[in-house]
Amino acid sequence: MSIKKLFEQYSPEELAESFVFPVKLTAKQQREASEQLAKHRAKRRAEMTEAEKLNLRLLQLKFRLEDYITGDQYNPEYTFGYFLEQYLQLANRKKKEFAGDIQIHETQLSQMLKDRREPNNSVMVRLELHSNNIIPAVSWFKLLEKEKAYQLKTDKSLRDKESRYVTHNLQLV
Amino acid sequence: MATKEHRLVNVLGVEKNDFNRLTVKRHSFNWKKLKDGFVIYKLSLIGDDDILGVIALKYYPPEERTEIKLLAVSAENKGKNKRYERIAGCLIAFAGREAIRIYGRYPCLSLIPKTELKEHYISKYGMIDGGWQLYLEDAPLFRVINEYLP
Repeated sequence: MSIKKLFEQYSPEELAESFVFPVKLTAKQQREASEQLAKHRAKRRAEMTEAEKLNLRLLQLKFRLEDYITGDQYNPEYTFGYFLEQYLQLANRKKKEFAGDIQIHETQLSQMLKDRREPNNSVMVRLELHSNNIIPAVSWFKLLEKEKAYQLKTDKSLRDKESRYVTHNLQLV
Repeated sequence: MATKEHRLVNVLGVEKNDFNRLTVKRHSFNWKKLKDGFVIYKLSLIGDDDILGVIALKYYPPEERTEIKLLAVSAENKGKNKRYERIAGCLIAFAGREAIRIYGRYPCLSLIPKTELKEHYISKYGMIDGGWQLYLEDAPLFRVINEYLP
């Protein structure tokens, strides 16, 4: 159906709920459009509050974390400690301050940042609350789970060690 | 009448063999023409690969901006008798989410509207009037994402 026919058949409201149509601008109009948009954006940017900037950075981290935990790839760098460090940076909190914010010992926080200690459920919930519920505890949990799943999947020495306890394993063609 | 039932959806990149299913009759445009130079995503229900909506995006990294070049819902999902609502909103919110994920400090999602539709994009998606273009960034962008991708 041509765009003209769509406009005859549907109301503008219905079309806006279903389409973004191609619009061709002349070179001059395109230039004008870019300049106008840049001007509008610069004005908004100048008026952006610190809270909005923080919200944006937090969403960026949330989406990166979500995409990583739902994706197929495992990246050894993307540990719990890595994402926690990113969180501290965007929240602009020093280790001591942040440990105080979520009432854990600074040493515990340092160990988690270095992936030498796992967070318990309480810590993950406190992280969720600290982020104003933007990064849910379950995302932190799934991140840990992904690390563990990879370790389990690739631990050859554990398989060698455990094989002596398994007999009569199924023989399949 | 659109169903009141909520369904979970997937938005995934369009693959080469999807183009045979993206017909002008059902998806309104010749999407093959956009194969080069645009990033195209499709929306489907989880567990069903039927394509209910398509969006073509162009990235402008120096401006931290993504432009929606084209968007269409499938034939049975437009107008008063649509089967599912919110398909376009989910695709727009997804594009906004991608912009936030990809760009640095000031991600922006924009489109050039047909004049007749401009006010409807503004009222429906909270888009900001930027002259020739409409756009979403900061709080209005967060609102669309929260509304359609909770």
